[in-house]
Amino acid sequence: MSQENAPIKIDKWDGNALKNALDDAAKKIMNESYGLVESFKLIDGRLALCSMAVSCSLFALLWDFLYPFPASKTVLIICVACYFILTGVISVYLLYFEGGVFYVGLEKDKAGIDPDDKWTLQSSLKKYDDQYCLKITYTGGVSKQTRSVERVCSVTEFFDEEGTLCYDLYEATVKGLKDSLSADKKAK
Amino acid sequence: TMGLLDISFLSDLKRMNKRQVFYQFLSFGMIVSSALMIWKGLIVATGSESPVVVVLSGSMEPGFYRGDLLFLTNDLEDPIRAGDIAVFRIKGRDIPIVHRVLQVHERDDGYVKFLTKGDNNAIDDRGLYAPGQLWLEKGDVIGRAKGFVPYIGMVTIVMNDYPKFKYAVLGLLGIFVLLNREA
Repeated sequence: MSQENAPIKIDKWDGNALKNALDDAAKKIMNESYGLVESFKLIDGRLALCSMAVSCSLFALLWDFLYPFPASKTVLIICVACYFILTGVISVYLLYFEGGVFYVGLEKDKAGIDPDDKWTLQSSLKKYDDQYCLKITYTGGVSKQTRSVERVCSVTEFFDEEGTLCYDLYEATVKGLKDSLSADKKAK
Repeated sequence: TMGLLDISFLSDLKRMNKRQVFYQFLSFGMIVSSALMIWKGLIVATGSESPVVVVLSGSMEPGFYRGDLLFLTNDLEDPIRAGDIAVFRIKGRDIPIVHRVLQVHERDDGYVKFLTKGDNNAIDDRGLYAPGQLWLEKGDVIGRAKGFVPYIGMVTIVMNDYPKFKYAVLGLLGIFVLLNREA
C-alpha cells in the first residue's frame, strides 16, 4: 500500500472508522518512528483457520455436486462437523489469542544475536462510546518479561470537527506511551 | 490513485494491507459457507435432498396455501401411508409437488407404489405423472411434511418471478459485507 501522507479523514460518527483510523495511525507510528518490523504471525494464524473452514465447505459443495446425496452422506457429515468445530476454534482464537491485538512489532537486536524484543498494541472502543483505550505491551526477547501501559483517551482529543485525524497530536500520545515503557526498561 | 477511494467512507478500505483485504473476502466466504453448511447439515439430518420447500400452488388448500414454507424429513424406514402429505418430483421435471397420498400398494418384498391427489383438486394426480406412469414410487419422494410456517415462502416466489430483484438483493448484500471493515 502506498505510504501516503495525506491526512486521514473519516465519518466522525462511525465508531468502527474511528477505531480503524487510530489503529492504522498507531501502526504507522510504530513502524516509521521506531523502525520496528511488523510480525504477521497472529493475523496469519487467523487467516489460515478461516481458509481451512472455507475450504471445508467448498470441498463439501464439490463432492456433493459430483456424487449427489445420498451417496455423499458420510463426506457431508465430516465436512459439516469439521466446519463447525473450526468455527468454534476461530472464535476462541479471536477471543483469547488475538483479543484486540492489532499490531505486533519486533525490535531486532542490534548485534543480531539475541532474540527480538516484542512490542504489542491492543485497543478497544466500545460501540457508541468515545473512550479509546490503547495498551502497549513490551516483551523482552531475552528476559521474557512483559511490561505494559495503557491509556484511555476520548476520540475527541484526536479528531477535529470534519473528522480529520490530527496525526501530530496522536503521534505525541503514542510515542509518549511507548517511550514511558522504554524508560522503565532502562531504569530496570 | 485518487478517485473513487477518496470518498471518506471508503478511506477505511484504502488503508488496508494485503492480509486485511484477503480477510474481507474470507469473511464473505465464511458467511456463505455457514449458510451452505447449515443447509447440507439439514439435508443429512432429515435425509431429504430438499429439507425446506415452498408451496407453489393452491392445490392443497385449505391446509397449505401458496407461499407456505414446509419442513420435510425423508425417513425411508417409515412406511408411506394414505393420508401422508408427500413432496415428490415427477421424473424429468424440476418442480416439487406437495400432495396427499390417496392409495398405497405394498408387496412382501418391500416394493411400494402409491397414488396422490391434491386436497383442493377434483381429480387424482395421474394427469400430472409422466406419460404411461400410473403410480409413484419411494424414489420419487423428496420427503414428507413434518412442520410448516405460513406466508414466509412468498419471498422465494417473488424472487423467482423477478430474478433481477434476487440478483440485486444478493449483490447488494455481498457488496455490503465486502466493503464493511470491522474493527
